[in-house]
Amino acid sequence: MISLFVILVPVVFAAVLGLAGGRRPAALAFGMASTLITFVLTWFLPGSAGLSAPWIPGFGVTFTLEPTGAGVVLTLMAALTMIPTVLMAARRVERGPGACVALLLLMQAGLAGVFLARDLVAFYVFWEITLIPSMLLLGTFGREKRRAAVLKYLVYAIGGSFLMLISILAIKPLSGAASYRFADLLAATPNLPGATQVWLFVGLAIGMSVKLPLWPLHSWLIDFNEQNHPSGAADVAGTLYKVGGFGFFAWAIPLLPVGMERVGPVLLVLAVVTALYGALAAAAQTHMKRLLAYASLSHMGIVGVGIFGLHLAGLNGAIFLLAAQMLSTGAMFLISGMLFERRHSFDLDRYGGLAASAPALAALSLFVLFTFIGVPGLANFPGEFLSLLGAYQHHPWLAAAATLSVIAAGVYGVNFYQRLYQGEQHEATHEIGAIETFALIPLIAGILWLGLVPATQLNKIQQQSQLITTPTTAQAPAPPVPLTAAVDGANATAVEALGGSR
Amino acid sequence: MTHVVAWASLAPLLALAGSLINAFFGRNLKEPAPGIIASLAVAGGFVLAVLAFFGLQGSDAGTQVTFWRYLTAGSLHLDLGFMIDRLSVTMMLIITGVGLLIHIYSIGYMHGDDGNSRYFAELNLFIAAMLVLVMADSFPLMFIGWEGVGVCSYLLISFWYRDRANPDAGRKAFIVNRVGDVGFLLAMFLTFKEFGTLNIAAVNAAAPGMLYGSGVLTLIGLFYLLGATGKSAQLPLQVWLPDAMAGPTPVSALIHAATMVTAGVYLIARIGAVYAMAPGAAATVAWIGALTAFVGAFAAFAQTDIKKILAYSTISQVGYMIAAVGAGAYWVGIFHVLTHAFFKALLFLTAGSVIHALGGEQDTRKMGGLGRHMKLTGNTALIATLAISGVPFLSGFFSKDAILSSTLNSSLLAGSGGDALYILLLITAGMTAAYMFRWYYRVFAGESRVDKHAAEHLHESPPVMTWPLGILAIGAALVGYLGLPEFAFPNLIQRWLEPATATVDFNHLAASTDWLLIGLSIVVVAIGIGVGWWIYHVRKGAPVAALKESNLASASRGALGFDALYRILFVASGEGVSGGVATLDREVVDRGLAGTGSAVGLLGRLATAVQSGFARAYAFAMLLGVLTLVVVAALTGVLR
Repeated sequence: MISLFVILVPVVFAAVLGLAGGRRPAALAFGMASTLITFVLTWFLPGSAGLSAPWIPGFGVTFTLEPTGAGVVLTLMAALTMIPTVLMAARRVERGPGACVALLLLMQAGLAGVFLARDLVAFYVFWEITLIPSMLLLGTFGREKRRAAVLKYLVYAIGGSFLMLISILAIKPLSGAASYRFADLLAATPNLPGATQVWLFVGLAIGMSVKLPLWPLHSWLIDFNEQNHPSGAADVAGTLYKVGGFGFFAWAIPLLPVGMERVGPVLLVLAVVTALYGALAAAAQTHMKRLLAYASLSHMGIVGVGIFGLHLAGLNGAIFLLAAQMLSTGAMFLISGMLFERRHSFDLDRYGGLAASAPALAALSLFVLFTFIGVPGLANFPGEFLSLLGAYQHHPWLAAAATLSVIAAGVYGVNFYQRLYQGEQHEATHEIGAIETFALIPLIAGILWLGLVPATQLNKIQQQSQLITTPTTAQAPAPPVPLTAAVDGANATAVEALGGSR
Repeated sequence: MTHVVAWASLAPLLALAGSLINAFFGRNLKEPAPGIIASLAVAGGFVLAVLAFFGLQGSDAGTQVTFWRYLTAGSLHLDLGFMIDRLSVTMMLIITGVGLLIHIYSIGYMHGDDGNSRYFAELNLFIAAMLVLVMADSFPLMFIGWEGVGVCSYLLISFWYRDRANPDAGRKAFIVNRVGDVGFLLAMFLTFKEFGTLNIAAVNAAAPGMLYGSGVLTLIGLFYLLGATGKSAQLPLQVWLPDAMAGPTPVSALIHAATMVTAGVYLIARIGAVYAMAPGAAATVAWIGALTAFVGAFAAFAQTDIKKILAYSTISQVGYMIAAVGAGAYWVGIFHVLTHAFFKALLFLTAGSVIHALGGEQDTRKMGGLGRHMKLTGNTALIATLAISGVPFLSGFFSKDAILSSTLNSSLLAGSGGDALYILLLITAGMTAAYMFRWYYRVFAGESRVDKHAAEHLHESPPVMTWPLGILAIGAALVGYLGLPEFAFPNLIQRWLEPATATVDFNHLAASTDWLLIGLSIVVVAIGIGVGWWIYHVRKGAPVAALKESNLASASRGALGFDALYRILFVASGEGVSGGVATLDREVVDRGLAGTGSAVGLLGRLATAVQSGFARAYAFAMLLGVLTLVVVAALTGVLR
């Protein structure tokens, strides 16, 4: 039942906030109460009981939530990231902070649904519902060119979702599964004929690639971030909403292994392109948020490399990176909002030398930035490392190419810091304030936690990575054989030896 | 005794604690408190390292300390842990010992700087990361230290961040090092694929059972070498080190001379068992080292900045170490790390003392005769100069000779031109003596070219700076006696290190031949010094003044043009590619189908993006370089 509360608490608080009217004190109080309560609840998710109830019985649709595996990790990190995000939104949004906070809470609820749902239709519903608050955030609180950005965002999202919906509607009747529950689908869909699987998979893959996002379906992302409210809060929510990788991992690949086998290589190449393309484009940006958007795109490419590489290490790493980048990318966007508050500009060329007047802000920014570009010991690194290592085991060339993005990450990373904080200071600024510090503390704590003790989360993710099954159509459906175990074959014994000196 | 050894695990934590104290409370502390706290943290680490050193006397094996689970994937379980054995303890002693002296010296050097506590926080953090690097029992943990020292190096090079040149230098170092890091990452991926583990001891244990000279082992060796060339400033990634002199001088002494730049040497020595099975990779290592040694020495001749000369000298000397470990003489490489740590740290600190006395002047054309005003600085600098030149009975003489004889006798280099390597390194030894004589003479001897204004303020540095000079000078003179030529004398350091490193066969020459070779190298050094004496003392520099406009001199000044070449090859094209991608995204991908009409306009814009190239992405398409390496490796059938 806790999984249900994790979804309902933010919805209730959003509703109360809507009724109470959106004044700043109310937004702050209800927003903080909701995010803190939800965060505490997510701590008790692992091991708590799931939930399954009939929803639309005639079509075999159920409302099933299962607090296990990768979904738990992602829900937890999203809940942690939401605390400072709501805080900054309540503090910074000039007109209607209550509405902004309410929308953020609705997004949080929708995301928890995406991560915890174990019924494909329920998953789709959460996936789509979350689009509405994110679109409203952009359309209501965005900057001058928000209309165009909203339009583009909708075209991409709805276009992708439409194809995804067709696949979802077709998958149960075609496979003859008992219901849309994951377990029922898994018993039937891997036996679908290859051609059917490919078409179903392509439908899902297009919708999920838009949300990953994967090159060349990423264009909405750049404008989305550039045009969102300068506090950065909506960008953070958007960062949490990069659920495409999770969709592949939790649904498309385990259900349609043959489809993945045939289409996967194309996706892997696109993921490598995304990783390099995003990093290269980021290095040429002078607009803070566009830089972050492209860099984040590059990270999503690495997530894709980990997932489409189909090695257990890469699958674990990719989901871990999704969780870690919530904290690091989130913190970067919040810092961009703090800088905007000081200078009213995202143009990096208008900054410089701020370390002189705001040394603590500089130090915290650098810490987050190093996390962001994958410096080991911090949160992003275990995810990046395992994603690339996993992909390398089967596809050394493509993985090596994706690894080159590490260099470009160094370039955009130090560029970012140098243009903001180093050099001659033309105009002093004020040091990081108490609330800003308080906002960054949970993220920094999370970054250290994930960076130093990643194994705790990796173990949880792995419960689900192992579900990705072998693409064999002739076999009896159960029990599912871990794909990696079969693919690795010869490597299995070698893997056993890791850490074998003990 | 193992408990005593295990306690050494606390050394990085002490340094980290020192760093955090200065980071959080430094602004409330009055000088010299930040420096004292930082020095105490390093001193504690040194004591622990010394205890571990005695604890390991009895046993050949090291002590394993395991902390917690780091990575899991299937049956992959990787724990974070330290391996404290004779090799890592030797490095720990150097890092904390020389590090402590440099910390103390810094109290004087950084006196009055408004970033005093930030400086010591970053310096302590560096010590912590460097200790993690050498103590790590697995490649990922070593990589945490590896990038950690890179981050600290970046921070300290750009320490005086207001002057744009300094952050630019820091950025260059960081990015070039990231190119090397790609090599390290690929090496780990391939290591895991072949060995199924990332534990260093497990890899070393499994390597001898693999196919000798196999393509995969060679490729693993080359990938790790790429990592080493980045951190250790070897060809083709040496370009960042001269720029790194933008940092405060004690930083140059600690990070860019004594410790961090030797990380590549340590890495190769640590996984010697892999290189011992991959002669192709080992020979590449040795040749990279020897060529770098030569190029560095050549470039050192025409420099005029007191620190840049030493920077090229460091590149050259680390080249010697890399050549030694390439030859499979792992203890020899570490021996030179040790002696070099003393004499090169000392050279930098005397340079710092000079810069301090002259109020920031670094141009040797405005120095000269300073030994008369700064007796202690001058005399210790002379000892260090003689030591690095390889003058008999000082430390550099013993370690350099051990390197020379190892390249000549290594079975790993059989058929890969070990003789040629020997000759190249021998010639370089003569060049070293000559350019170091030039350095010393132009700074400390001869007539004074110091500004009148600066001359009035000339003074010897305070005791907090001169004491470390004295101690380092004693080390620079004596530490070589740990490694006397093994054919005639007891060699302590070889006996100490050999149980912790892989074994490679070396030919044994007749003792008379060995003596002859030593005699030969003494003659070469004597010629080097003699030439320097004749040019600078007897002819007052006239012969080189005549050469000033020649191609040779400008090649040396420009360090063979690597920087200029990379600026054209990588920076400009990298910026072009990066700008091109950004333009492509804005103009085509973004507009989707609607934008196809503007494709013609795009071509024009792409062309401008390629041509314009404003200073942004240093060494970008070193991407291309790495790709080329991979392609070449594949074409030669190395990759299955």
